[in-house]
Formats: sequence, structure tokens, C-alpha cells
Amino acid sequence: MGETAKDRAGRWLAAAGRSLWRIGWPRTDKDRAAVMISSLFLHLHPARVSRHSLRASYTLGLGLVSLILFGVLTVTGLALMLYYFPYPAEAYRSMKDLQFVVTFGVVLRNMHRWSAHAMVFVVFLHMCRVFWTGSYKPPREFNWVVGVGLLLVTLALSFTGYLLPWDQLAFWAITVGTNIAAYAPLVGDRLKFLLLAGHVIGPMTLLRFYVLHCVFLPLAAALLVSFHVWRVRKDGLSGAPEVPSVVEETAGTFPASSKTYGLMALTRRPSASVEARDPRDEVFAWPHLLYVEVLVFLGVVILLHVASLLFMAPLEEMADPTRTPNPAKAPWYFLGLQELVHYSAFVGGVLVPTLVVVALVALPYVDRRPHGVGRWFAPERRLANTVFTVLVVVATLLTIVGTFFRGPNWAWTWPW
Amino acid sequence: MTEKGEPGGPSRREFFLAGCAAVGAATAGFGVSTLRYLVPTVLYEPPARFTVGAPGDFPPGSVTFLEDRRLFVFNGADGFFAISSICTHLGCNVKRGGAGFECPCHGSRFDENGRVVHGPAPAALAWYALSLSPRGEVIVDLDRRVGPDFRLKA
Repeated sequence: MGETAKDRAGRWLAAAGRSLWRIGWPRTDKDRAAVMISSLFLHLHPARVSRHSLRASYTLGLGLVSLILFGVLTVTGLALMLYYFPYPAEAYRSMKDLQFVVTFGVVLRNMHRWSAHAMVFVVFLHMCRVFWTGSYKPPREFNWVVGVGLLLVTLALSFTGYLLPWDQLAFWAITVGTNIAAYAPLVGDRLKFLLLAGHVIGPMTLLRFYVLHCVFLPLAAALLVSFHVWRVRKDGLSGAPEVPSVVEETAGTFPASSKTYGLMALTRRPSASVEARDPRDEVFAWPHLLYVEVLVFLGVVILLHVASLLFMAPLEEMADPTRTPNPAKAPWYFLGLQELVHYSAFVGGVLVPTLVVVALVALPYVDRRPHGVGRWFAPERRLANTVFTVLVVVATLLTIVGTFFRGPNWAWTWPW
Repeated sequence: MTEKGEPGGPSRREFFLAGCAAVGAATAGFGVSTLRYLVPTVLYEPPARFTVGAPGDFPPGSVTFLEDRRLFVFNGADGFFAISSICTHLGCNVKRGGAGFECPCHGSRFDENGRVVHGPAPAALAWYALSLSPRGEVIVDLDRRVGPDFRLKA
């Protein structure tokens, strides 16, 4: 009896499968580590991670959630583009179509909107976490700067996206926003002219914001995200306490290459890395990290679906340059600034934001003491943490005041 | 050609460095001058000089708000004048209220001549020059700012 047709087909299928998935389903730690390193998508992870960085109460998974939200925004955004015309009245009509005509259009739009709000919020929390755990210290200084860039790109994406529905909310938020830009010294008026592509918000402005929102800024974000994640991968997941573990002191350090799993030697870490150097303090990324990531992803997607089914994204009347709504408010994440702008447009719109960004970028180069890394509110960092916390509280209070306690003519009002 | 080049001439490395620098400078110059591309040359916006109707269209002692021009046209006792409704703070439309104008966005208040009374607005509301066309219609010129003593006798 020779080979049956069934056997041949089986061998052919197996060979075809191997062209796609070389190792087969990995059953041992060693095979899983090999897959983690050889797969394009999985190799963003190290093969092993420290137990410390895996503790949910340490990182809160905020960076991961930001990344997931960026993915959701890309997918829903691409879908929305299929029905969107970037021309004033048409833009508003496509919103109405998405809301009332296109199958699942309203859910996709809601999901895009709520993911965008969530991303601004989560990215901000991620920054707070990194500060409060001192995770911007060497060797991660530059990655903190990249993170600041990502925060700004996130805000720019939100801001440019805000105009696209072309409703009253959009029009007046962008009017206020671009006029704030005009207060910048020397270049203010030119900057506003460039943003608007004219003196008033019109079709050219909408087209410009559309291209920025759908092409330039997402590309910039993707580039920065790749770099950000790559640096995290090279420097190790978030700083572990620099205190050497007991095992290390008594038994000396184990070079990773001398362990059974020599694959780790492929990634040489800078010696300054504060990741746990004791291999016994590390666990395999698959399953310990990977399964958590999948769970967080599912959780985020489920939450977004529930929010998108229950809560409608706002859409007011079509933009009308002759009627200013009262009060006219910027997006919520700019309401702290708008509250400052209410006192002085230059201070609130230009001076404070510029100082904040400069301070954030300079921070890791000014505060270089390698103490208190990898722990929440380390006592060694009391001064830094206090200053930062006060700033966060002030920003939060200003935002809350601008959102809930300001009514017509920006006068005091009660939210209830 | 040798690695060192002709005696007294540039070496091969110097030659290529100069060449790269020249090409790089040309590319950078081209890139910078192309930034001008971002500035629109033609604006499809309403003209800055336009007629708003015959003087008789504005009853004596009245204030007319021209929505689409964002302009208040006054026919006062001593003549016509026009005040912009664009708040000098952040570009919202001011409304008539109190003794003058009020901005709904950030609470700026202006007196009846558009001067700042209260709030974050850094400057008075703009006054624009009015003139009469040969056919006797009132012309507004948004490119010509005037002071609050301006009056057009018609």
C-alpha cells in the first residue's frame, strides 16, 4: 500500500501551514520564547519580563490601554472615512447619514468619539503614572520626551477631529482654539492663517483639518508609538526598584546567556538598565504577559461597545458662523485652558501651555537622581511628586470648573 | 584617480563631502521654499469691501445687525458708523446687551462705542470705514479701520 491521497493532502496542508507558522503551536517555555522572538508582532515583547513590571497595581496597564485605543481609533476612523465628505454642508450631512442611514454607522461614530475622549484621558493618566513611579529616570529620559510628543499629537488629533462633524460645537470650539493660537508672539497671526488657510473657517480649513486628522497626524503618531514601544522593549518594561534582590547579592549576577534559555542573549541590554537582573525574578512573557494583554484588550473593546451602544456622540445643528452658542466651549480637555483664557488669552492660551510643555520635556534632564525609581510615591522623591501632584490637581480643578461651573457668558453657574 | 587625488587638489573624500553638502543644501533650500506652498494664494472668501444697501434702508436711530457680515450698522443722530461683532478676545460674536455689547464665550463686555468695560478682551471692537458708492449705497471697507469718532453723513 503506497501513500493515499488523503495522506498526501495532509502533508501538503502541513507544509503550507509551516510556511505561515514555522514552529507549530509551541508547547514548552522554550518554544514559546522562540516564537516570541521570531514572530513580527510578538517580538515587540521580550521573551521574559520581570514580575515587578507585571503587577497590575504597578503600571495599571495604562500604556497598553492607550495603544489599544489608538488601534480602535484607526480601525473605526478608516471605516468612517468611507462615508465622510470633507466639505462644509456635505460634512454635516454625512454625519446625519452615519447617524440615521448607514448600517452600524452610529455605533462606529460613537465608538470613534468615545475612544478619542478615552485616549486623551488614558494618555494623561499614563503620564501621571510614569511620573509618580519615577519611570522617566535614566535610561528612559528620551522615551519620556517621546511620550510628551505623543501627548501633544493625541491632543492635536482630537482637536483636528473636532471640526470634522461641522456642527455648532465643532465650529465654535475651533474658532476659539485657532484664535488662541493667534495670541502667540510674532508668529501668531501667520500661524492662525496657516491653520485656517484663510481668515475665517471655511472649506479650505475643513480640508486642511481633515488631511491633518486622517493622514499626517496618524502617521506621526504611528511613528512615535513605534519608537516609544521599541524603547520600552529595549530598556525593559517600566523600572523595577533599583535595590538589588537578596538572591543577586548572595549568589552574584547571572548573565542571561548562561541560563538555559540562551535566546535571551540575542537582546543585549544597556548595562544601565534597571530591569530586574536576577533571572529568577523573571517570568516568561508567554503566557504571563500575553494573556493579560489579551484580557485587557477584550475588556477595553467590550467597554467601548457598551458605551457606544448606550451613549450617543453629540451632534448639534449645522455650523452657523453668524450665531455663537452661549456659552461656546472648547472640547473638555481644553476647558482648563479656556478657564485660564477667560482671565487672559496670552497667559492661558500661550504662556502656560508653552511653559508646561517645556517643563515636561526638560524634566528628565533636570531631575536625574536615580532614586525612587519603580515605586509609587517613593519618599525619596517627595518634592518632585508634590510639585507634580499640585499641578495635576490645579489642571483638574480648572477643567472641572470650565466644564461644570461655567454657564452663559462664562459666568459662574451650578451644574445641578 | 587615486585615493589621495591629484597632488594639491581635493582628496576623493573631500570631493564627495563637498558634493553631498551641495546636494543637501539644495534639497534643504527647495524644502524650505516649498513651505510657501502651505500658504494659500487665492482665498475664496467674501470680499472685504461691499455695499450694505441704501442709507434709507436704515431707519434713523436704529442698529442693524448684518449676520453674515458679522457687523453692526448704526444710523445715529450725527451719521452712520459700523462696529464689528467679532470679539477681539477669541473671535466669538458679541451680542447687544447692557449698555453696549457682551461676548458669550468668555464674558467680555464692551460699552456702546465698543470699548472694553470688563473681561479678557484685549482691545476695543473694530470700527470700519463707511463711504457712499456713486449710486448712493453705503460701502463698508473691512480693510480700513477707523476711530470711534467716525461718522458718515448721508
